[in-house]
Amino acid sequence: MSDTRHMDPMSPGGGHSRGGDGGDSDDFSADEDESGAGLNPSEAADLLQQTRRRAERKLDYRSPWLSLVGAAVVLIALGAVWLSVRNQHPYKGPTLTALGVMYGVLVVWIILVLAVAQRASTGVSGRSIRQQRAQAAVVVAALVAVSAYQGYLKSEGVSLSVVYGTYPLTAQLIVLGTIGAAIAGWREDWPGFGSSMAIILVAAGSAFAGAAGVWLSDAIGIALVVVGYACAQAWTRRK
Amino acid sequence: MMVEELDPLIHVPARLRIVATLAALPQGDALSFTRLQEMIGLTPGNLITHLRRLEEAEYVITEKTGSGPASRTSVALTNHGRAALDSYTEALRGLLDGL
Repeated sequence: MSDTRHMDPMSPGGGHSRGGDGGDSDDFSADEDESGAGLNPSEAADLLQQTRRRAERKLDYRSPWLSLVGAAVVLIALGAVWLSVRNQHPYKGPTLTALGVMYGVLVVWIILVLAVAQRASTGVSGRSIRQQRAQAAVVVAALVAVSAYQGYLKSEGVSLSVVYGTYPLTAQLIVLGTIGAAIAGWREDWPGFGSSMAIILVAAGSAFAGAAGVWLSDAIGIALVVVGYACAQAWTRRK
Repeated sequence: MMVEELDPLIHVPARLRIVATLAALPQGDALSFTRLQEMIGLTPGNLITHLRRLEEAEYVITEKTGSGPASRTSVALTNHGRAALDSYTEALRGLLDGL
């Protein structure tokens, strides 16, 4: 994604000294035994596994701790809205303060995820980066479409409990869950696929909790799904 | 199978780390020379030497973009290199099972 600009190291005299110069120290020098003698099969297998696992962790921005932070974000964001609407009779919608908390927490979360993703993809180029950009465009377009339809519902005089209650959260979560499931299924990321499917089910089920209850039901349900996903990630990494 | 039968191009610690790191990328992706160097911890000179060996065997492909101080070199594992690593991994398994 990001470009790491530097002198061309592969060209003759490209700004770098050859191995061993300048006091650099390597674990493995270019002059090491070319036959690989001294590296027995067990050591080679360990080195292969450790290197690949370390590389996968460095190149993948998703991590259990990031998921756990995400679960906390969901609880805070949706919980703040629920606190502002739980005693409304009739339902009028979230207060500006609650919306400020929700969007503020979500923006901080998005910035954090983008920063971690940017760091992980430094120096990476190619197909997966283009695919990630296309996926991000789909998510943004879908969320804009959901919001646009919310405006249409309001213009048609649909009740506030639907326009500012069950519809926006339920529709957005179903859309995000569907896109997430499609991407995870394509990548054969089965924990991600299961979590995305669970998000769709939680969102659909929570709609029956009513305009105020949907916020609490989704807050708890989605947070639990994300915690489960974090556990699955941690378990997968330990294998 | 004997240890000597393992692919000698891969069965060297530095090159094993290079191909294992590049294999962690999705197929079709490349890694900049700088990031690869940072992840593996080799000096630029050593990394170049090993990459040239791997490139001669068509296990990796390097691509330079731009020119002058702003030029970039990216490195990717070829299908041939990925297959060689798979064969090497299978051979290792066979050797370890036989121990």
